[in-house]
Amino acid sequence: MTESTVRPSAKLPLHALPWLPRPAARMREAIAALPADPLQALDAMRALAQAGWEEADLRQLGRRTRSILKSAPPSFAADARKQGLVPVNLLILSASTANHLADSLIGTAIRFGFLLQLTIAEYEEPEPWLERHREELKRNPPDFVLVASDNRMLRLAAPLGDEAAATQTVEAALAQVMRIAEVAFAATGKPVMLQTLAGDPDAPQINMDLGLAGSPRHLASEFNRRLAPQARQAGHLLLDVDGLSASVGQGTWSAGRYWYAAKYPFAVAMASLYADHVMRIIAAQMGRSRRVLVLDLDNTLWGGIVGDDGIEGLALGTGSPLGESYSALQRMALSYKERGILLCVSSKNDETIALDAFRNHPEMILKEDDIVAFRVNWDDKAANIKVIAGMIDLGLESFVFLDDNPAERKRVRDALPAVAVPELPDDPAEWISVFQAAGYFEQTSFSREDRQRAGMYKANAQRAAQLERIGNHDDYLRSLDMTLSIAPFDQPGRKRIAQLIAKSNQFNLTTRRYSEAEVAGLQANADAVTVQARLADMFGDNGMISAVVCLKNGMRWEVDTWIMSCRVLGRRVEEAILQHLVREARAAGASELIGRYIPTARNGLVRDHFEKLGFTKTGGQVGGETIWRLAIGEYADKELPMKIEAVVSTGSASAA
Amino acid sequence: MDGVANTTQASILERLQEIFRAELDDDDLTIGMETRQVDLKAWDSLAHIRIVSGIESEFDFQFNLAEIEEINSVRQFVDAIRDHMQ
Repeated sequence: MTESTVRPSAKLPLHALPWLPRPAARMREAIAALPADPLQALDAMRALAQAGWEEADLRQLGRRTRSILKSAPPSFAADARKQGLVPVNLLILSASTANHLADSLIGTAIRFGFLLQLTIAEYEEPEPWLERHREELKRNPPDFVLVASDNRMLRLAAPLGDEAAATQTVEAALAQVMRIAEVAFAATGKPVMLQTLAGDPDAPQINMDLGLAGSPRHLASEFNRRLAPQARQAGHLLLDVDGLSASVGQGTWSAGRYWYAAKYPFAVAMASLYADHVMRIIAAQMGRSRRVLVLDLDNTLWGGIVGDDGIEGLALGTGSPLGESYSALQRMALSYKERGILLCVSSKNDETIALDAFRNHPEMILKEDDIVAFRVNWDDKAANIKVIAGMIDLGLESFVFLDDNPAERKRVRDALPAVAVPELPDDPAEWISVFQAAGYFEQTSFSREDRQRAGMYKANAQRAAQLERIGNHDDYLRSLDMTLSIAPFDQPGRKRIAQLIAKSNQFNLTTRRYSEAEVAGLQANADAVTVQARLADMFGDNGMISAVVCLKNGMRWEVDTWIMSCRVLGRRVEEAILQHLVREARAAGASELIGRYIPTARNGLVRDHFEKLGFTKTGGQVGGETIWRLAIGEYADKELPMKIEAVVSTGSASAA
Repeated sequence: MDGVANTTQASILERLQEIFRAELDDDDLTIGMETRQVDLKAWDSLAHIRIVSGIESEFDFQFNLAEIEEINSVRQFVDAIRDHMQ
């Protein structure tokens, strides 16, 4: 059945990925029409992949991607990277069949801008496989490991009603999975993704079973309940397969005949949804989740057109069923603000009238203060979204645009392909579940800073106003009364450090990604000098804004990672951090600092970072990578417009 | 009567041809009513399952487990598809 025969008002199942636009043509024909040039073909496939294809189509897309990559010249990877197509290597460990998922995963990956390469170990316990391939994994590690455990691998079973035996069974299964994760991490040094267990529709569906020790439903739910916090604690990623199976229905999720026929872990048609979730977690871990939600106003945040109907004519709040559904949408937006998502408004309206609704409609859940940037005018929405991106200094690939009007959605999608624009059902009552299913704001960690992010962006707007008032940049910096606190990596900071490493794309010299567990490893590594820095000023605490990793290599210290939040650009923080590094290096007797810049599609901002800091270029490579050197003996301390409180690696505190 | 049956058979075969090419990853493959699993090296047990699922999504019905196990030729697929489409 072609997708175009589906009536737009028909409710799409979740595995049809209803937030994506429906395909405009048949996959076979679309693939036949691809350009011959491999890079152009991949670009066209990336655009093609933005539609909600079903599993068989995704596999065709994946297969074509594979064949293009196979016949591509060696320089191809670098060229593809320049266009934002990043190679990702994934190792899948499964005791069931997994190879049939390969092409769906590859076809889905290209939707996210990834060129996925897979290694798949199937029908086998992961541990012996990892043991056998240890050398190979060390030499050539994947970027991620997925432990695709399922009911069949864990074989949870215990006598009914025996609490102690049930606990022991669950503990043993947890220990098994955590051990696999540990072995996989030890073998690869890369993030490991674990799965919850899908509910089994073939288990007795007796209502009391959830509380009956030893019943299949009890064992599986206990396993899931305990796995999630353990995975989080150990810094592993979690793929909630149970949540997926519940959202489509266990019977729909289950492999059924395909388990008996071919040991498939779940139904074939579910591969599109499963692959999307694997990729969104990988994307989040690589700093590619979305961070901004741009909202339309009329018939999106409220029912009706405020300019025509007036504030009192809007459907919003407890007065009407329709009004309740718009309130629910506002509550959803607010809940994302609390997770650190920036809310913005782009609407074709009279600004005074729109703001009046924010200020004076008693049922408004979103307040003016919750919105980081307003663009309310009669201009083109795509142009307005670009302006907002400039105002808050985030790339368009961080943006999601929510609008009830299909024409506006298409316009923004065409003009700004980097912006995610969810398709919405006709009925506003159905919007929230579709939007939530899209998972635009997938996150792999959570820190205190997340909740405060909107406040931080607002404070930045106040700082901009102060700069405008004072005029002179140095005077302005001194007027901010800044305090920079520098310390080596530590346990309390680890989550935020890992998050900075995962999310920073612009001020990131090498774009090397480290998981929480790897950050812990760096903290313990005597050959690594680590720096985390927090910046506070008169307008508030910016929180942790920079992380640096230096690897001691005798007298030559090499900067492995240098990341800074773009919120604090132009505050001379990088100079203060260099000063700190030089002091540490001097104290340890090192003679030089080596810096490296590895270009990506997004870090052009720091191309001249080391040059600005006084390093000398010593080398470069094809692809734009540059290497820099600073002689410690030639560095002269600088007068910086901030107070610096530093804890040095030896543990003694000093103030400068 | 026979004419109608043959048309159905021909149109099913045409759609099967595409599925076999895609699932066996061979754009030049030509199958006929007489093609059997033993004739095609690529048509192994896993490819068989891929073909089954390809047919299920193309023709929008489900094979039962016994059919999945028993079918080992194009003719059997065509017959089974005709049965299910009635």
